[in-house]
Amino acid sequence: MAAIRVHSRLKIFRTWAKAANVPPMNQHIQMLPDHVINKIAAGEVIERPASVMKELVENAIDAGATQVDVEVVQGGMQLIAVSDNGSGMNRDDALLSIERHATSKIRTAEEVEAVATLGFRGEALSSISAVSRFTLITRPAAELSGTQIQISGGKLQDVADAGCPPGTRFEVRNLFFNVPARRKFLRTEATELAQIRQLFAVYALAHPETGLTFTSDGREVYNLPGGSSLADRITALYSPGFLSHLRRLDFTADGVKVSGFAGLPQTGRSDRSDQYVFINGRPASAPVIHHALNEAYHAVLARGRYPSAFLFIETPPAQVDVNVHPAKKEVRFRHPAAVRDAVIAAVQKALTLEAPEEERRTPAFKFDAPRPAPRVEKQHELNIAVQRGKGAEEQRHKDQEMAPEIPAPQSETGNRQSAVSNPQSAPWKWCRVLGQAGGLYAVLETEEGIVLMDPQAAHERVLFEKFMHDLTAGKPLRQGLLTPEAIELMPADAEALRRHLPVLDEMGFGISAFGQDTFLVDALPVHLQNGSPIVILSGIARALEKSGAAARATREALRETVAQSACRTSIKAKDNLSTAAIERLVEDLAKTEMPYTCPHGRPTLIFTSFTELNRKFGKS
Amino acid sequence: MKLTIEKDVLLEALQKVQSIVGQRSTLPILSNVLLKTEGETVSLTTTDMEVCVKTSAAAEIAEQGGTTLPARRFFNICRELPAGQVEIEVDVKDVATIRCGPSFFKLVGLTEEDFPPLPEFEESAVYTIDQNVFKEMLQKVSYASSTDETRYILNGSLLSFKDEKLTVVATDGRRLALVEQEVEFSEDAQASLVVPTKTLNELIKTLGEEGLLRIRVSAAQVAFDFDRILIISKLIEGTYPNFQQVIPAQCEERIAIDRETLLNAVRRVSLLTDDQTASIRLTFGKNKLELVTNSPEIGEARETIPVKYEGKEISIAFNPGFLMAPLRHLDSDEIFFELSDELSPGVIKTGVPFLYVLMPIRVS
Repeated sequence: MAAIRVHSRLKIFRTWAKAANVPPMNQHIQMLPDHVINKIAAGEVIERPASVMKELVENAIDAGATQVDVEVVQGGMQLIAVSDNGSGMNRDDALLSIERHATSKIRTAEEVEAVATLGFRGEALSSISAVSRFTLITRPAAELSGTQIQISGGKLQDVADAGCPPGTRFEVRNLFFNVPARRKFLRTEATELAQIRQLFAVYALAHPETGLTFTSDGREVYNLPGGSSLADRITALYSPGFLSHLRRLDFTADGVKVSGFAGLPQTGRSDRSDQYVFINGRPASAPVIHHALNEAYHAVLARGRYPSAFLFIETPPAQVDVNVHPAKKEVRFRHPAAVRDAVIAAVQKALTLEAPEEERRTPAFKFDAPRPAPRVEKQHELNIAVQRGKGAEEQRHKDQEMAPEIPAPQSETGNRQSAVSNPQSAPWKWCRVLGQAGGLYAVLETEEGIVLMDPQAAHERVLFEKFMHDLTAGKPLRQGLLTPEAIELMPADAEALRRHLPVLDEMGFGISAFGQDTFLVDALPVHLQNGSPIVILSGIARALEKSGAAARATREALRETVAQSACRTSIKAKDNLSTAAIERLVEDLAKTEMPYTCPHGRPTLIFTSFTELNRKFGKS
Repeated sequence: MKLTIEKDVLLEALQKVQSIVGQRSTLPILSNVLLKTEGETVSLTTTDMEVCVKTSAAAEIAEQGGTTLPARRFFNICRELPAGQVEIEVDVKDVATIRCGPSFFKLVGLTEEDFPPLPEFEESAVYTIDQNVFKEMLQKVSYASSTDETRYILNGSLLSFKDEKLTVVATDGRRLALVEQEVEFSEDAQASLVVPTKTLNELIKTLGEEGLLRIRVSAAQVAFDFDRILIISKLIEGTYPNFQQVIPAQCEERIAIDRETLLNAVRRVSLLTDDQTASIRLTFGKNKLELVTNSPEIGEARETIPVKYEGKEISIAFNPGFLMAPLRHLDSDEIFFELSDELSPGVIKTGVPFLYVLMPIRVS
């Protein structure tokens, strides 16, 4: 008996058992009948109504359908019906299709290596039909009549001719009616419906070329026309303004093509539910892709926030192994590193927003440079502006004579030409400072809409990039302090700081341990010199301590941690910034690589497009 | 309240008080100027609850009373009025009617009762000093104070009345400016106070060229009386750091440089720096000083100026803003630069008792 525990021997035993055609009476191990096998397999493939819909929609799309209609009743627990206008099947094929491991999609083992269709395992229909009341109505376009097959709990009930349009319609009723254990695990109707809708969205995104409708309890939820683009689909599934928060991806390297959209950091949410990954058109995922996304957004999104992403990754089929998971949720790549690099590069390219070629060629002169926004009727404004302008000029002159370092009293003059042009790599082609709201947020106007900017976050971003830039250029300058400042930290913070003194020294901090948990600071990096040493260093120490400051963290990561917290603590919210100061900040921010968030992932800019404003104001 | 006042007199008075008015104050009354008749004059008062400025102007008073008017708007009106007599009449609802020649305004004010009363003042010491002298002292020093709110004690300048002289000190932890002046005061009036930079800026703006200034000090406040102006300010409480210890006792080299030449050279060379993180390298060689800035993204600037110098070569980097500040605020033709090496602080001195200690920037 020990022999059969060895896997390779099992086959021999099976052959023997079959050939003998006798049930092994006194043996504990028995071959399972097919309907049991199907039920077990169904457990792997069919978890819940959503998985039924998934299998059926995949089949429809593999059948070359251009229109797929999904209908569910009671969250799919009562009925899931999927109709397509695809190739259809003749009676023989239809009967065969419900056998286990019967598939039209592959023929040989070699083909498994290079599957290009969505399904291929040949398990789906047999599994579904084993656990439901199952109806299949199908007709190839070339034949006059179709076939209707009814199966209940895996048992063939009826095969008959049926009149039907070309294509295939599956109806799955009373799912798990014969598997009470499974049925108990189903959630509420609303939850199951939400799962189905989420999955429907996935296929809608994956196949914008296919028309899709979704009806729930007789109510049409989605009607997505075929032949659309991905952008149309995203707009149809999300709010109309959502697309403006996305950046198009387009990157190819090492045979890996990455396309789709990546969300601006402000689309970040606390779970991954807005991240869609399609590998060779198949909704799938791999840990490596999530890691890549995390890494790409590392410096712009807070830990635990996930950006929206619609990633389409194309690799030669042979480079990806989809046969890892029965539901094909996860795939494996032959060269994960190449995929990872491609995703990071694609996202970073999209986020850093290199202006397209033609924009760079725009001449430096622009005739229609925007004028300041008129606040009152035009004539009035003109009149006042002239006089105020003079006043401001005098004021400035006086300031310069007297005490240039004293912050000039903020003049209210609106006469400045305050349009800032940024031909390159900026989030806008031009932008104009309209003012400050709530004594804090800067209000800007760009060619496409209104931008609210948090000057503090923006300043952090600018400072962070300048600081990191100088560090990588290897010339951190340090400003000496007149008197070394003694700072005392909590023991854990002190320990974290002590461990990283060499890194901090490289970055331009002049810190020496001064016994116990006290340190002496005699210099700060020039970028941070306006801050107070105690505030900056206790911030850094806490950040290092919190990040666990893994001993294996790279020097680069450590530097980033330090710079992030240092920039945060060295910048304070200042109210009533002068227009000139805002303009300079806007210009500096436009030059950064990731202008949309502060180094901690808080947004720097909130953009509202004119389209959105028009919509909200009821103007189309 | 009803009065008539010369436009220029009113404008001048308003100019003195309007600058501290908060633009976006949480208390609306603080955006207003308090007008109050006092015998043959009208007084104007503004405050931001930290500093309070009061002045008075001669006027023909027809009816005593008081009100508060939006300072900025009132000021703008006065600025635009034609020269001549301005008639101001305020009704019981604090609506002011302003007439001047052909112009007519009705300006809605707030009742004077809501205006914060002037702080009670019990002085413990009084000093008298020439207005212009004090103004120059402040100008030479106050720019060096810190704006970092976490170091509030440095958000002002130290006024130390001690050993028959007044010492004014400001520092932000990276540079320190100090000026001294002999002043007469009684032995028991020795005191040290830290005055907020905002108050000092106000003083620099309003102090005149001649006449005396009376400084009165109480436990938590300081009052400056001069001409027809009274400025009362909170003091910054706390202990000012011991500034003596950062002043190098002795430096190895002392170089005399023409102030304007150096200022202009630094200004030109620092054109090619990035504002916040700028550094300028000064290299003192035989009879010459070379100034260089260099940033990879912007470019390079270089200028050599002749100096009398025979000592060892010293190359030291400073923040150009910190270097220019004292040069700009001094008035002597020549300054003395004292240095030891590239890691030790540089000191700028002039003939008058002025001193500026500046920490260098080092490359890690």
